[in-house]
Amino acid sequence: MTPTDLVDANLLRTMIVVATPLLVAALGELVLERAGILNLAIEGMVTLGAAAAFVVLFAMAGLTGGVALSLLSAATAATVVGLVLAYLCVGLRANQITVGLGLLIFSLGAASLLYRAVVGVTTSPPRVPTLTPEAVPGLAEIPYLGTVLFRHNLFVYAALLLVVPVWWLLFRTPLGLRIRATGENPKSADSLGLPVQRIRYGAVLAGSALIGLAGAFFPLVLTGGWSESTVGGRGWLALMLVIFGRWRPWQVVAGALLFAYVDAVGFVFAATSRLIPVQFLQMLPYVLAIAVLVQVYQRAQAPAALAKPYDREARY
Amino acid sequence: MTELDASGALTPRGDADVEAASGPDGALGAPPGAARRQTVWADVRIYLGAVVVALVVNAVLLLAIGADPLVAYRQILSSSLGSVAALAQTLNRMTPLLLGSAAVAFAMRAGYVNLGVDGQIYGGAILATGTAFALYGLPAAVVLPAVLVAAILGGGTVALLPAVLRARRGVNELFTTVMLNFVAFYAADYLSTGPWTDPVAGEAISVPIGAEARLPGFLTGGGHIGILLALPLVVAMAWWLRRTRAGFEFRAVGGNPRAAQFGGVSLVATGVVALVVSGLVAGLAGGIEVTGVHRRLILGLTPNFGYMAVLIAVLARRSPLGAIPAAFGFAVLIVGSDSLQRSVGLPASAVFLFQAVVVLAVLYFEVRRGGVLAAVRGRVGR
Repeated sequence: MTPTDLVDANLLRTMIVVATPLLVAALGELVLERAGILNLAIEGMVTLGAAAAFVVLFAMAGLTGGVALSLLSAATAATVVGLVLAYLCVGLRANQITVGLGLLIFSLGAASLLYRAVVGVTTSPPRVPTLTPEAVPGLAEIPYLGTVLFRHNLFVYAALLLVVPVWWLLFRTPLGLRIRATGENPKSADSLGLPVQRIRYGAVLAGSALIGLAGAFFPLVLTGGWSESTVGGRGWLALMLVIFGRWRPWQVVAGALLFAYVDAVGFVFAATSRLIPVQFLQMLPYVLAIAVLVQVYQRAQAPAALAKPYDREARY
Repeated sequence: MTELDASGALTPRGDADVEAASGPDGALGAPPGAARRQTVWADVRIYLGAVVVALVVNAVLLLAIGADPLVAYRQILSSSLGSVAALAQTLNRMTPLLLGSAAVAFAMRAGYVNLGVDGQIYGGAILATGTAFALYGLPAAVVLPAVLVAAILGGGTVALLPAVLRARRGVNELFTTVMLNFVAFYAADYLSTGPWTDPVAGEAISVPIGAEARLPGFLTGGGHIGILLALPLVVAMAWWLRRTRAGFEFRAVGGNPRAAQFGGVSLVATGVVALVVSGLVAGLAGGIEVTGVHRRLILGLTPNFGYMAVLIAVLARRSPLGAIPAAFGFAVLIVGSDSLQRSVGLPASAVFLFQAVVVLAVLYFEVRRGGVLAAVRGRVGR
């Protein structure tokens, strides 16, 4: 490993691919948290989304529409979990930490069961072909930048650009203002006539759908398969990214790229590095997350009502 | 916008309510006399209802993969409780669950959520294995206690960083403990595939520890005395929480940190004690797994037991004593579904789904009861 390897075009290209699921999941979580709901089930939802997407790709091998249907099933599976989360945490005002962890375990189990029900017991895990990267005509020929930026699949671009509608929704539309108001001060929002519970329900469902979509990127773009360790903590990293980005979409993008870079270093040098054991490279994103928490946490501006259930009849 | 206030925003809701409703000494939270009987009866109904819901949901899922639910349920019971050897296996599985959930429940009593039991178990396992290797060949009377103490310290070490970061920088322990799970996992991966690897196995498995570092057997069929270490420890934790002045102050912080601080309790010290003791107890679980079950460091020592431990602690209402039956129930499910894995090919982690349904159903019934009975109870303590 030499210093120039660290800015290698293929490494940076991998960084962008690895960043997509992190980014999409973090944007989903961002929507949820802006409405005041903390979703600790995110790792499970991503795993379930990945499993749902994979089984569709597996069952529809080669058929047209398989990719679209796999995205749909990933989003649906996570949204169902999100519905339970919304019902328990918004509707019934249960503790978001315990419900989140319950649904985390639930989703991990559901993902394995779904995989078993469709794929069955196999000696070697089946694989589906990952989406092929397509070169953007002309731009892909630019030396270096062409490799880094313009040789990706369409879905990778879609994921990166997703930040624009999310940012626009949250910060440039009346609905976004209402979502944020619900997460900052639900009582005020309620007194102004906003349907706090309905907004929270909507934010949880929309955010969960995005989190499920993030899962679909694992079989579609990254691994072509599914196992219980496919997601391997990247859902938790997405949760960290929201804090790292201080609940702002563009900062979340920057964070996703940073964490993806560190993750990609692990990927790329895993095979070649003799100097540093692979496991220390794989550890890096999590160590970085702790370091980031220490730096960012005290100045972080969380939505004021985050993880606090809203009871309109409670007296404070 | 306010700052993400670690003590307020992300601590479990209702700590103060629970503490207030159950009185200062209510580990299992019950007022005296007739009201107590009524509450206990309501609890029994909640837990039974949750188990029934889980049985029904799981039956549907078993049918979906083509297994007969009644046969499966009978197999779960017979493989986990049907013989002395089966019971020994269940107690083996129960031990880390009990220690982990007691650790989580303990920290929760002061208002801290330790999601890092998995990492702390690895920390304990790593230090235990290393100590066993270092003391190879010495008498068992020296080695075994040293190994277990090392395991305890290993768990505490992993919990120390979140404790210090919380105390010094206000970083929420939820996130740091989860991140350390992965750090500890990869550290164990490195050791068991690198310096300590068993070249014959070709997997993430270390060479075995010496016979002098092995936990004595208990019952038959591979059972070990871990449960006999865990139970007294858990009872001692419950006693400390309930009967000592320090334990009272500790719980006071969980009930109302501001009031406790005005009463002269140090929040920083309480937080460090809560998380580090939690880690020490979880670390012992790692040591017991290494010395009693696997006799080496392996990956997947206790898969996702840390999150299960949180669920058990919630089921047990943050009571170490309540964790005993809850951990036993979870262990029955784990051993039973391991045997289903062999017979009908049920994936090992399908058991998570069943456990999660039990917990979510309990949460559901509790919240519903809270809603329905809130008027009757007049919201005392709010």
